Amino acid sequence: MVVTGRAVLLAGIAVVAVAFSGSLGPWAAAVAVAVLVLLVALDVLLAASPGGMRLTRAGDTSLRLGDTATVEVSVANPTRRRLRGAVRDAWPPSAHAEPRVRPLSVDAGERRRVATELTPTRRGDARAAGVTVRTLGPLGLAGRQRTLTAPWSVRVLPPFHSRRHLPGKLSRLRQLDGRHTAMVRGQGSEFDSLRDYVPGDDVRSIDWRASARNDGVVVRTWRPERDRRILIVLDTGRTSAGRVGDTPRLDHAMDAALLLAALAGKAGDRVDFLAYDRRVRAQVKASGRGSQVHRIVEAMAPLEAELLESDPAGMASAVLTAQGRTRSLVVLLTDLNAAALEDGLLPRVPALTSRHLLLVAAVRDTAVAEMAAGRGDAGAVYRAGAAERTLGERRRVTAELRRAGVEVVDAEPEHIAPALADAYINLKAQGRL
Amino acid sequence: MTAPSPEAPAAGSPAARPDSAARRFWRAARFPAVLAAALVTVSVLMSLGGEQFPTGHLEPRSVSPDGTRALVNVLREDRDVEVARSSADAAAAVGAADDAVLVVFLDHRLLPAELDRLAALDVDTVLVRPSVRSLSAFAPGVEMTGRELPRDYLERPLDPNCDLPAARTAGPAYVHGELYTAGPGTGAVGCYPAGAGDALVQVSGGDTTTTVLGNGDPWTNRLLDRGGDAALALNLLDAETVVWLRPDPPREEGTATLAELLPAGVLWSLLPLAAGLALLVVWQGRRMGALVHESLPVVVRASETTEGRAGLYRSRKARDRVADALRSGFLDRHSARLGMGPDAPREAVVAAVAERTGGDPGAVEALLYPKGADPYAADDDGLLRLAAELDERSRRLR
Repeated sequence: MVVTGRAVLLAGIAVVAVAFSGSLGPWAAAVAVAVLVLLVALDVLLAASPGGMRLTRAGDTSLRLGDTATVEVSVANPTRRRLRGAVRDAWPPSAHAEPRVRPLSVDAGERRRVATELTPTRRGDARAAGVTVRTLGPLGLAGRQRTLTAPWSVRVLPPFHSRRHLPGKLSRLRQLDGRHTAMVRGQGSEFDSLRDYVPGDDVRSIDWRASARNDGVVVRTWRPERDRRILIVLDTGRTSAGRVGDTPRLDHAMDAALLLAALAGKAGDRVDFLAYDRRVRAQVKASGRGSQVHRIVEAMAPLEAELLESDPAGMASAVLTAQGRTRSLVVLLTDLNAAALEDGLLPRVPALTSRHLLLVAAVRDTAVAEMAAGRGDAGAVYRAGAAERTLGERRRVTAELRRAGVEVVDAEPEHIAPALADAYINLKAQGRL
Repeated sequence: MTAPSPEAPAAGSPAARPDSAARRFWRAARFPAVLAAALVTVSVLMSLGGEQFPTGHLEPRSVSPDGTRALVNVLREDRDVEVARSSADAAAAVGAADDAVLVVFLDHRLLPAELDRLAALDVDTVLVRPSVRSLSAFAPGVEMTGRELPRDYLERPLDPNCDLPAARTAGPAYVHGELYTAGPGTGAVGCYPAGAGDALVQVSGGDTTTTVLGNGDPWTNRLLDRGGDAALALNLLDAETVVWLRPDPPREEGTATLAELLPAGVLWSLLPLAAGLALLVVWQGRRMGALVHESLPVVVRASETTEGRAGLYRSRKARDRVADALRSGFLDRHSARLGMGPDAPREAVVAAVAERTGGDPGAVEALLYPKGADPYAADDDGLLRLAAELDERSRRLR
């Protein structure tokens, strides 16, 4: 049951009326209360039943973080009474659903659509919590309310800010591909096709044997190796929960992983994805050709860093099972945390590098660099010392990994995505994939 | 930071509410309930064994200095004491007793008609500081002629100076107060003379006597043990039954409660007002659906451990470690620029740094590889100097 301000106003009028009723007080009071109760009860009874409403949903099912999605609830009124009241489509607070409550009027037998705009501030699945329908009686004094379930969920995808780097990296890739410059055979390229010589082609690429069999001069074209396999491994353990700037390391890593996946997809490589801490949190296996980015984005959306120590041994075996015997580039997005890596990952590196090429990418913390540069008073120097120690350990781990034959990309949050893309392009140019 | 696990029910479904309304109510109400129970228990325990004594001037049950409980208890050792609160009670008590003495206090609280009725009783009467109206009713011809209550009266008791056995045997007493003079022909005996009259006057009429005492203070708990005060009281109240009349203040008449003064309608309007308040509570208290809960992400800075370590260094004054970290940071950053590998011998590094940045190789060695006690790690100022010198050499190396 609900009552409105109108009922309270009516009660106020009754109070004044009884106060001035003089000797008729007892009677006036009884009549006033009886009328009040009667009217409120009548209104409750005459209000359309909120439980009788039929709800159906429509609208967006996914959006990128920072965008706005619209989800509609259509309220059908199969009862014989007119629905007059309000409706609230409830979402978790981080979904920032607007408007919160809106007035609603649906005639008997009709339906009306109610749109709610979501501007989520968190990645992951936003689930509708329920639709509260409040119906008022004909007098507008009181009514009924019911919360109905109308399940819907909107997947909030990672924002993929590094998209803006994609055109630049793609043009670098095309240079490598030979579409911009002369097709020169180099390391990391494979035979593509034979075609007729056109003036301007490098004479060194003429295939004399094929030319002998043909009328004209035939040149060989080369292209970078294709159909290489790339496995992007996202560490979702505790070190990924730490925030660099305002964003967790995990989200920076996702951004870099998405740029790499998009780039590798365009370059014709097969991209697999694995999220791991102590068990597999998400996995995408490349199916056929074409970009896997949308699937990886979907898989990433609900991932959150777990507050537990990652298990590098399990991660290594998961990688080995995922990739089988095919040589591939394994990109591990984690933190260069000395304690975690020296105990966990380094002993497993030989097992991985014997079969695959391992690349470790990590987000450097700008706050630590700022601390290391801090001077002025004793406190700042102590902080600088602690920061230098962190940086020193990071350098040591990087050196150890490089000695073990691992590629390391260590960059600030805003540079990690392009740096990882560059590392990939360089590996490709060197034919090391 | 918890990812929504698949088995978690959707928010808003009944299972998502952690407990029922009754549990919630109990959780909200249990603390106030326990508090109220504790308060009641404590107040009951404190009231047990605590006896309430009434207070008031000359009150026979009062233990305060101006009460007369002491005298009443002394009297009760060998005679009955009937405490009366109204003239009717007093008259009844007098009528029931064979041998009684009526002692009247605070008689200004009695109506003239009641005074006349009491005066008509055939009984010995002691009036303590009577009103003028009372004096004329009980002892006509005796008048109040003065008042004497000097500041130092407790050092100067009054002497009886009369033939009244009760007063004479009692001896000097502290009966200062109102003074009376009996008119001629009343046959009155005056005792304890002081200035303008006598503090005690006894009038005999027929077989009863009326004694007028100017002040009740000598019989209070405070003064009863002084001089002849107690003896005077015992002598004057010499009967089998002492009827002790201390009338309650007369009840006011013609007053009305607030409820009687208000028009009936206003009172009755409280009923719809209560209904209106209940409606107000429901109107404002009813939510549009339940609150939606959501697990919040953990917010922890990645630099937290580094900052924690800085705090540890500072609190433990680990200057040697800070100095080591600063030096190795400097060497790591510049060894490549100096053309040195990570395993380059110290002498080579020192020589290269000294050559590129100027200065004495000895000073550079002390800066980078101190022997024995580190001069820079002695105090915080040393650490600041180390940082400044390393920065200066970094600048020159660039």
